[in-house]
Amino acid sequence: MNMKEYSRQGDEAGSAETAVTLSVNGEMHQLRISPNVVLLDALRDRLGLTGTKKGCDHGQCGACTVHLDGQAINSCLKLAVMCEGHEVTTVEGLANDAGLHPVQQAFLEHDAYQCGFCTPGQMMSATALLEDERIGTDDAAVREAMSGNICRCGAYKNILAAIQTARGQGQAAPTAGKTS
Amino acid sequence: MDTQVIGHRTPRVDGEFKLTGRADYTVDWQAQNMLYGYPVPASIAHGTLEKLHLDTARAMPGVVDIFHHGHFPKLYRSPNSPTHQDQVSEVRLPFEDERIHYDGQYIALVVAESFEQARAAAHAVHADYRRESGAIASLLDTDREGRLLASEGASRGDPEKAFDEAPVKIDHTYHIAAESHMQMEVHATLAEWRDERLIVHESSQGVVYQHKAMARIFGLPDESVEVVSHYIGSGFGNKLFMWPHAVATAGAAQMLGRPVKTILSRQQDMESGGNRPASRQRLRLAADPDGRLVSMRHDSTTETSFVHRYVDSLGSATPSLYACDNVAISQRLLEVHHGTPCPMRAPGETSGIHALETALDELAVELEMDPLELRRRNYADQDPASELPWSSKHLDDCYTSAAKRFGWERRDPAPGAMRDGDEIIGWGMATASWPALRMPCAARVELRDDGSVMAACGTQDIGTGTYTIVAQTVAELSGVPLKDIEVRLGESTLPAGPLSGGSMVTATALPAVAAALRNAFDALKEVATGEGGAFEGSDPESLEIEGGALKDDQGKRVSFGEMLTQQKLGSVNGEGQAAPGDEKGQYSFRSFGAHFVEVRWDPGISRLRVARVVSSIDIGRAINPSAARNQVEGSIVMGIGMALTEKLDYDPRDARLINNNYADYIVPCHADMPEIGVELLDNPDYAFNEFGARGVGEIGLTGIAAAIGNAVYHATGKRIRDLPITLEKVMDT
Repeated sequence: MNMKEYSRQGDEAGSAETAVTLSVNGEMHQLRISPNVVLLDALRDRLGLTGTKKGCDHGQCGACTVHLDGQAINSCLKLAVMCEGHEVTTVEGLANDAGLHPVQQAFLEHDAYQCGFCTPGQMMSATALLEDERIGTDDAAVREAMSGNICRCGAYKNILAAIQTARGQGQAAPTAGKTS
Repeated sequence: MDTQVIGHRTPRVDGEFKLTGRADYTVDWQAQNMLYGYPVPASIAHGTLEKLHLDTARAMPGVVDIFHHGHFPKLYRSPNSPTHQDQVSEVRLPFEDERIHYDGQYIALVVAESFEQARAAAHAVHADYRRESGAIASLLDTDREGRLLASEGASRGDPEKAFDEAPVKIDHTYHIAAESHMQMEVHATLAEWRDERLIVHESSQGVVYQHKAMARIFGLPDESVEVVSHYIGSGFGNKLFMWPHAVATAGAAQMLGRPVKTILSRQQDMESGGNRPASRQRLRLAADPDGRLVSMRHDSTTETSFVHRYVDSLGSATPSLYACDNVAISQRLLEVHHGTPCPMRAPGETSGIHALETALDELAVELEMDPLELRRRNYADQDPASELPWSSKHLDDCYTSAAKRFGWERRDPAPGAMRDGDEIIGWGMATASWPALRMPCAARVELRDDGSVMAACGTQDIGTGTYTIVAQTVAELSGVPLKDIEVRLGESTLPAGPLSGGSMVTATALPAVAAALRNAFDALKEVATGEGGAFEGSDPESLEIEGGALKDDQGKRVSFGEMLTQQKLGSVNGEGQAAPGDEKGQYSFRSFGAHFVEVRWDPGISRLRVARVVSSIDIGRAINPSAARNQVEGSIVMGIGMALTEKLDYDPRDARLINNNYADYIVPCHADMPEIGVELLDNPDYAFNEFGARGVGEIGLTGIAAAIGNAVYHATGKRIRDLPITLEKVMDT
């Protein structure tokens, strides 16, 4: 069975729906959604961008982390209709034609995951913190800044090593969307 | 075995899928015309459902149907047989009757066109209950003893007499709170019926088991079911056996004639998706003045629910760990009114070894002996339980190496004697152990005309690295590079493979893959030496495999792909099976290790931190050393949670779960990380299997909480016998 044979059908029986235009990874998407749809479910269920994961739906675990105008946010705590006019970047937007983003490459080399389910969120937080001048570069500062992203497999040691390696390699790729 | 790929660090072959968001976890799947299911959980723990008020919910946008007792297909229970691989986590079917046995038990399933609509309607369902008093919230809240399990008892010698006559003894009781697995991907099912066939996507550690159970429950021939689980957002044991949400979802899909996807909320997952049962353990140990154990008694009680009998075998390691002539273990089982417990990483022995290793520390204090020295004096050179020799045991090397790396010889034994500024330093240690398990397994390998190789097995990769180590095995034996090897797992229609549990997949699946690959080589040699073949007329036995090619003794070399292309063949296949053999009666198979822990206690601000963990673990051969070390490091992280923070809090008044979320059930995060130094000894265990691997998923969790607790005692002088060791216990006792 191939995932591509499936496609999402619309909300034909939805309640009062709103038109919203979302810019995700540099592409514009027009959606009609009810106002209670959070960005996470819009990405996953409507746009088929399932790389962003739902771990708790309450802003407690960090698995759903995406960038909104370059800032890391919990997409489960953001209504999709509030994101019009902003640039959303998801894990699908990290790699480009030249290959993996330095953070992805470092995660691969350091085995900075096990099951991989929290990994997109870890990487989105990591790419944001590496661009954030307010966050120190030492291990303790990185650990503190990453503490909103739970990894129940406990690959924290390797995640930290991967982030510090990516920092050393200059984290070249853009993180706030390919259009910028 | 001199190896080129096995035993060497290599990035995961599925890494790029996970890192780019392309890995297809169950929750990511969508089907044409799919509906969303959302369960309605009971809000009482003990009583009867009298009436469901569904009118409001039924009238809400997008709602298609609401299933409940009286409106659901009539199904069969699964026989729940380990032998026939149809075990389930809860034998009771969803909506079977109106009795409520625990908080969160499903009373209805709302099905709607969108997730938001299903969730909104589920919240609009109201229920009338007849509550009953006397709900038992937890084993921790009752003096009830439960019933004695004859199946779990064992003894040798006369431990009672030896205890009574011994000069040094301890007798203490330890409690461990129920824990939640807290795997990142909640339980999820996508069920679809196509031409009377049931196709299920499930986040599962056992597709074969779920396949069989679904067939029995829906009264279908095995051929009419398929279970898929390509990527699993981990499981830690609670996805070994199917839960009722999957049955409810498949039943709804059957009645509606449309695919239905149900993803539990985190709250539902924690209430009704499994937990490690709370335990009470009494340890009575006695020694002679030289520290030689003369008596060990380990009496345990664990929880199960009222709808399923789950036994967490707490004492199973105790008779094997130390040389002692007089040993007895017993276990009791107590039914409680909360969600059904199930295996959780290193089930049973994590709890049992915690109590035993804490009790040994207490005995060392009584003996005024170094706790490491106490363990050395009771070293078991053979398995005292089976009286068989160990296949390979290097625990003494683990003790020596880890103690040296940790700096144990600098330990001042007096509690509170080691300080660094405002902090009091505590050092503790414990032994780790987990049995080496292996089951029968089948696999299939395909050599293809494009030079690639495909290996398939109906087991799973739950994040442990199974995709990668299967590919490494194929690469090692065929000489084909990893990039040209495809591994297929997680489909119940593939040759039957094992549960991803018990640390058994490596030792179980790799020999089957190797057998299948060798059969594929034989098929290729038959082609090569047959009419028109590149080695026509040669003796197949004279051909060797090298670098993805066949080679004869004249130096002629033809690649697999070239050979198949010449003969106009797309592929040759090999099926293979492997199972444990006579070695089971000749040796005892078990892994061992040692944890050394430093905690820091700042009494001024009541801060307790694990600062440093040094572990040496002997798992035989690590097929992929980086993935294997990751398993042990992750276990240590989970052990820190078990020791210091993790507890499912059931309200003693009504047995409802209070902390059913990630904010109130505290698991370790980045900022909690100590310095972790894990060493894997490399002593291949070829008596166990041809690759020398014993598995690595569980062992790191055993003993770690005890080592932390023993370090807390060393820092504070306070022996906290109940996990988790929360701050108020250190402050008050």
